[in-house]
Amino acid sequence: MSQDTKRSSKVLNRRRLLQGAGAAGVAALAGCSSNGGNGNGNGGNGNGGTDQIQFPLEIQLETNADNDDRVQLVELIAESMEQTGYFETSVETYEWNTYSGRVLDTEYADEGHIPCIGLSGTFNPGSFCDALHHSSNHGQCCNLVGVSNAELDDMIDSARFGSTEIAEDPEARGAAYDEVWRMLADERYSSITHFGLNTAVANMNVHGFASYPFDETVYSYALHAPFDEQVAWLDESGASPNDTDLSDLQEGGTLRVGVGANIDSFDPPYSTDTTSTMAQGFIFEGLTATDAEGIVYPWLAESYELVDTNDIERVAYEDYMITVDADEDGVIDTEEQVIVQHPEDDPVADDEVRVLTPEEAADAVADDVFGMQYRYELHEGVEFSNGEELTAEHVVNSLRRYENSDLSAQTFDSVLHIEEVDEYTVDIFGQVVDAEGERELPGFLIFTEEQAQAEGGEIDPRQEFTPIGTGPYVLDDFSDEQFAEYERNDNYWLEDIGVENLEWFDGPSDFPNAPVIERLELEIIPDNATRSAALQNDEIDVTTGLTSATLDDFDESDDFFVYSVEAGGYDYIQYPLDVEPWDDKRLRQAVNHLVPREAIVSNIFAGWASEAWTDIPELARGAGTADFDALEDEIRPTNEFDPERAAELIEEVIEDRGYPMN
Amino acid sequence: MSLRRFILKRLLAIIPILFGVSVITFAMVHLTPGDPIDQMIGLNPDITPADEAQIRARYGLDGPIYEQYLTWMSNVLVGDFGEVVYSGRDVSTIVIERLPETIALGIFGWVFALGIAIPTGIYAAVNKDKFGDTVSRFVALSGISIPNFWLGLMLILVMALWLGLWPVLAPSRLPLYHPEMLWFLILPGVTIGTAAAASIMRVMRTAMAEEMNKEYVTAARAKGLPERKVVLKHVLRNSLISVVTLAATLTAGIVSGSIVVEVVFNWPGLGREFINAIDRREVNLIMAITLFTGVAIIIANLIADILYAVLDPRIRYD
Repeated sequence: MSQDTKRSSKVLNRRRLLQGAGAAGVAALAGCSSNGGNGNGNGGNGNGGTDQIQFPLEIQLETNADNDDRVQLVELIAESMEQTGYFETSVETYEWNTYSGRVLDTEYADEGHIPCIGLSGTFNPGSFCDALHHSSNHGQCCNLVGVSNAELDDMIDSARFGSTEIAEDPEARGAAYDEVWRMLADERYSSITHFGLNTAVANMNVHGFASYPFDETVYSYALHAPFDEQVAWLDESGASPNDTDLSDLQEGGTLRVGVGANIDSFDPPYSTDTTSTMAQGFIFEGLTATDAEGIVYPWLAESYELVDTNDIERVAYEDYMITVDADEDGVIDTEEQVIVQHPEDDPVADDEVRVLTPEEAADAVADDVFGMQYRYELHEGVEFSNGEELTAEHVVNSLRRYENSDLSAQTFDSVLHIEEVDEYTVDIFGQVVDAEGERELPGFLIFTEEQAQAEGGEIDPRQEFTPIGTGPYVLDDFSDEQFAEYERNDNYWLEDIGVENLEWFDGPSDFPNAPVIERLELEIIPDNATRSAALQNDEIDVTTGLTSATLDDFDESDDFFVYSVEAGGYDYIQYPLDVEPWDDKRLRQAVNHLVPREAIVSNIFAGWASEAWTDIPELARGAGTADFDALEDEIRPTNEFDPERAAELIEEVIEDRGYPMN
Repeated sequence: MSLRRFILKRLLAIIPILFGVSVITFAMVHLTPGDPIDQMIGLNPDITPADEAQIRARYGLDGPIYEQYLTWMSNVLVGDFGEVVYSGRDVSTIVIERLPETIALGIFGWVFALGIAIPTGIYAAVNKDKFGDTVSRFVALSGISIPNFWLGLMLILVMALWLGLWPVLAPSRLPLYHPEMLWFLILPGVTIGTAAAASIMRVMRTAMAEEMNKEYVTAARAKGLPERKVVLKHVLRNSLISVVTLAATLTAGIVSGSIVVEVVFNWPGLGREFINAIDRREVNLIMAITLFTGVAIIIANLIADILYAVLDPRIRYD
């Protein structure tokens, strides 16, 4: 989109937005007075029974108050619905914790409201359909309205689990997901409004920078990612950052990064926030690495292969399981990591549950009972920054450190067992055949022997325990709430091996073996406005997480460059399909046609987002569709802003069901 | 009652006050929806309610409120303020590390507030209803009305971005006690002190104006004392009592003001930590910071009470 178009549409839409906000306010008031005043026994907001349903239909849209963009988005949708004359909308906002508690409650589905919430998807296409629509996610994140469609559940599950063909063939998997997207377009339980962009703003000294879909890895990716031939450097000569030819590359310098939160921990399994993960990413590495499209490459592993699969379900571990007590909150009485819990047992309802812990998981694997087996051959001679040589034992102990950590639920929902084969070979076993196994199973970082034995949360300079990894940088200095400084790891393994010797590397021969920037300084600046001012005042070189309005200013400036890439964040509304008349999919489809996706993107996000014409963003397309263009051609018309089509559909509903229209 | 007994009595009164503060804060934190575990897991579809219960139990957040309070209280009595769930760090360490930053800011804010307010208040009272008084009242009203965060951002915009007199970020590599840090305390100090300065100035002006009409002033003037001496020696001292009362009350304002100011000026103090703690529902940290703040405010009031006696020897503590 050109700047001019962006600006003119913004002006236009701001005005509409104001009208929208006003109208929504009026609508809310109107709702109140009619409830209080009519006294005819129609009972105000009642959509609860057939006899009370009438059009214009009263409907409440809800969201969390602390996200201004989301509130505006909901107001735009409400206004768009209101203008058809078929709805009397009101918008209700809640403080985040109140809101999340409210919408994650199973009984929320019966209240008949339209909630709006945001989620972060990943390269896994399932992250754009499973949480929202799988019946198992009702009452937890984030099937808010109780979508319960066995056929859909089965389609979502089988696009990921249980089939070797799906696991090995992205195209077959894509075709399976295409069926899911088609069904969702038809049923329209939810409307995804837009996908976020991940943006970074840098001054003109930063060359070769690129954004990455996830904040956690944006800097380590930009600094050096051979799979995408990505390398950033500093050049203060005034040359344009567009000159990214490798022959212009300059070594050295200090990159000053503004980060938006404190680094709470340098201990990977004991931190879940973005900034900590980002800060750890310069130091620690994993067996594999992922490019900007989600393709997995061997990293600390020289190579890996899927050795074996068994088409089993989790019930197959029943014979190995032990029985443990569970209290009324569902807390299971064991010190061990629960790897698999028997699918038929419910720790909240039952007094005892059958579980598989690491010991029994090893027994199962010994009997060839497992879902999948990946074998990783490590590079020989890789050293941690303290000189310790990486062996298979490190890998095994590192994964074990994730047991009962803050990340154990995510880690052990797929990993079954890890085993050292020889000094440089490990096998990781998955619980079931899982098409995400290639990405998920090696999703942990590797520690030195001492670190692998450390207490939870202990690896942290604040606890006098400096983190040590195989990564390209080492932590040089850290001050809580203030800064973290890194310098290049002189002992970086890839410099010894050489990028050109990596089996998969097909880039230019002069591509550097390691990041070329000598030092990193992470300045901790939580306030967006202050961080933006620091960037303008040349006190930092690059930052992320600025607001859309600020991004526009930087984009228009000649002194800064905005890097953006489509990311995994998305907002969606869901329809209360358990409550009449929302059980009629034509009504849901109609409202979907009233979601002004283009206005949302241009107005609220000033163009720094992309319209959700399908339910799947660019980043998950690898395995998420067999043919994206064909899918978009098919699905996009159902998501276009089309008040006329919406009116037709609503009229059909009114007519077929005999609802009165006042 | 001697001054010493008075102080002792007031210090002992801190105990029930802090107990009350702790009960109320603890209850309020628990009445607000969400806890550190909710914040930690966020919206994560991988985590089942059973996983959540498991994590909650691991951090001892699964018992009834009174039980959690009693555990907390018994630990505090032996000097253990607990850990932050999120990072496992010791709460006392965090408070001790952050406290000096906030105290420095608070003291600077105070010095600025009093340094501006008292002379301006005197000037305004002496020149009551003249042009200078009107200007100073206008400035004072603006000072009270301008929100801290806006003033802070404007100071950054003008002083740092336009005039280049300060950097946006205070140098984080210099220790707080380094003399150079005084320079970097100016902008946040001014921001934090402005509202207090404005309030004190108004009270100062009113109190002075009132005192000026009293008979002893007329007598002093009749005696032929120079006006300067009348104002600065007699009137000022008597007017200060109400200023001291207000100043003590405003300590709470300075403490709460530091929250916003520390965020805007990227000042790594207790206020910024407090915001994080509330966001993440870190009960232990919220409790510790609230108690420290409570102590600070009580002590400020105690100092005010003591100052009364210094300013007006007729005041007795009985």
